[in-house]
Amino acid sequence: MLEARNLRKSFGELVATDDITLEFGKEEGELVFIVGPNGAGKTTFINLLTGFLSPDEGSIILDGDDITGMSANGRVDAGIARSFQVVKVFEEMTVRENLRTVVLTEQGKTWSLFSMADGHEDVEAQVEDLLEKFRLEDAADTVAEELPHGDRKLLDVAMSFGLDPDYLLLDEPTSGVSTREKEYVIETIVEVGRAEGVTTVTIEHDMDIVTEYADRVVALHQGAVHGVGPPTMLETDDELRRLLLGVGEDE
Amino acid sequence: MPERVDRDGTPAYRFLGVEMTRREAAFLGLGVVFLFVIPDIAGLSDSLQLSVIHQGLLFGFAAVGLNLLLRHTKLTSFGHAAFFGTGAYATAVLARYAGVQSVGLLLLGAIAAATVMAAIIGALSLRHTGLYFALLTLAFGQLLYAIALGQSALGGSDGLPIRPGPANQPLLFGTAFSPDVYQVLTYYLTVVVILIGLFVMYRITQSPFRNALDAIGQERTRARFIGLPVRRYVWAAFVISGIYGGVAGGLYAVVRQYVRPEGTLFFLRSGDILFMAILGGFRTLVGPLIGGVVLIFLQDVGQDVTQYYEFLTGVVLLILVYGFPRGIVGSLRSGGIVNTRLGELRREPSVLSTWGRTAVQSIERKVTAALTSLRIILFGVD
Repeated sequence: MLEARNLRKSFGELVATDDITLEFGKEEGELVFIVGPNGAGKTTFINLLTGFLSPDEGSIILDGDDITGMSANGRVDAGIARSFQVVKVFEEMTVRENLRTVVLTEQGKTWSLFSMADGHEDVEAQVEDLLEKFRLEDAADTVAEELPHGDRKLLDVAMSFGLDPDYLLLDEPTSGVSTREKEYVIETIVEVGRAEGVTTVTIEHDMDIVTEYADRVVALHQGAVHGVGPPTMLETDDELRRLLLGVGEDE
Repeated sequence: MPERVDRDGTPAYRFLGVEMTRREAAFLGLGVVFLFVIPDIAGLSDSLQLSVIHQGLLFGFAAVGLNLLLRHTKLTSFGHAAFFGTGAYATAVLARYAGVQSVGLLLLGAIAAATVMAAIIGALSLRHTGLYFALLTLAFGQLLYAIALGQSALGGSDGLPIRPGPANQPLLFGTAFSPDVYQVLTYYLTVVVILIGLFVMYRITQSPFRNALDAIGQERTRARFIGLPVRRYVWAAFVISGIYGGVAGGLYAVVRQYVRPEGTLFFLRSGDILFMAILGGFRTLVGPLIGGVVLIFLQDVGQDVTQYYEFLTGVVLLILVYGFPRGIVGSLRSGGIVNTRLGELRREPSVLSTWGRTAVQSIERKVTAALTSLRIILFGVD
């Protein structure tokens, strides 16, 4: 279980994370969606959990161990992977090389100076498996920077899954993806996540997607937790609707 | 024995992890033979001196090491002469104060010293990236230069000789040779060391370690978030590249039998090493080596021709950046315009007449334009 306890983070005057206490993965493999208006502190929260930022106060607990002071790469080894809102992949590598690099790293083989990078059979098998799961076989030998946007997003997510995480934090995996591709990207994530029992925490703006796929929804507002509940919360909580959609009662 | 593999349809061979087609193997063989016969060729011409080529190879070898950082982690070190100089001075100090005579031991000393130096400078400068990293390496390099200049034990600006033992010369295979033979033998030693060094570097650039370095170079943040302890990897790469510099410096000291701060530690030498990698093609393995020979050769010839020989380097750099950004080897390999044209010619010789026509047409156009300009200048706008 991954827990945030009383997390606080401010940037100068701005309180980006205001006393957040949440837990994820009580039920293994749950799909949690984080929603909230712009500036609600969604990305900051993920940055705190993954070690991109360190909190001013509070702690992060992974399976009972305090990991608040752990380095970002240490947390990846401990099973927490993430993706970024803006695709961050290794642009000059092909899709296959990107995934190979991830799997080699995950298996702790990157200190090997004299073996062949493409000569580890178990790694190659895992790379093929990822290519297939994320339907990237046709693009396997395309250099990342030449991929269409949807495939870049998929590659980004595939790389996170390649780390064999227990917890996966995705920062808007569907942002900038066309409506048609959106479903495809999110479906792939849900499918693979469910199959491998990965607890997935996803920031998402598209409420249709949230309603359709979420096991649980966390709503943030002005750095604090506005509410936690089932996706039906989006329908029933009027104040939340107003916050997210700008729909007021008087309209 | 070489094992036959298939690379995109062309048969290739794999031996000791090195994979190449017949064509590449032939080039490699030619290159090796060429390196070994250089002492014989060099005797034929006055402008082609063995010592110049030798020096070029040594600095080029340091550039091969630097290239590990430049090509994969995308870090630009402006202080690689520090390791070259450390290797050279370690050799001199061992020969002078410890009485070490064997070339092998001297080189081991150079490697050890450069490794320690690279470990320290790396740990201190790799906290930063980009410009600050470059400036820090430059600063540490100049610091070592200042130390070498200031310490009388290191000979100050006069430097130190490497003339240990009764023969006044380091011993190869426990034997003292006549100076001429010594020069040629140390050259062969350099060639062997370079071949081994290139092989090792080739294997490193095929290994998972290289994937980690590439990842760090291309997207540092993501590299961290796939679980790479970024600084540790970059530090390891920095030390490896420093070792190449140390080996080169040690050999340089053994060959020249004299080290001066100006020739080994001065920041312009760092600039040279960086320039060599870019000149030869930093996206290739052997490019920096060739860049080294070419640059040292140009500087040497330039020195004979004009006292403004530094100017020559500048001109070469400009031509390079604007005309051949991939460097010598990079341009040759990617084919470039020359190869494409040659290919066309081989397929269809009549293309020659087309080229002729195009050339005449373009000359006509240029002349007409020039005449128009001339008329305008002379008679004003018509």
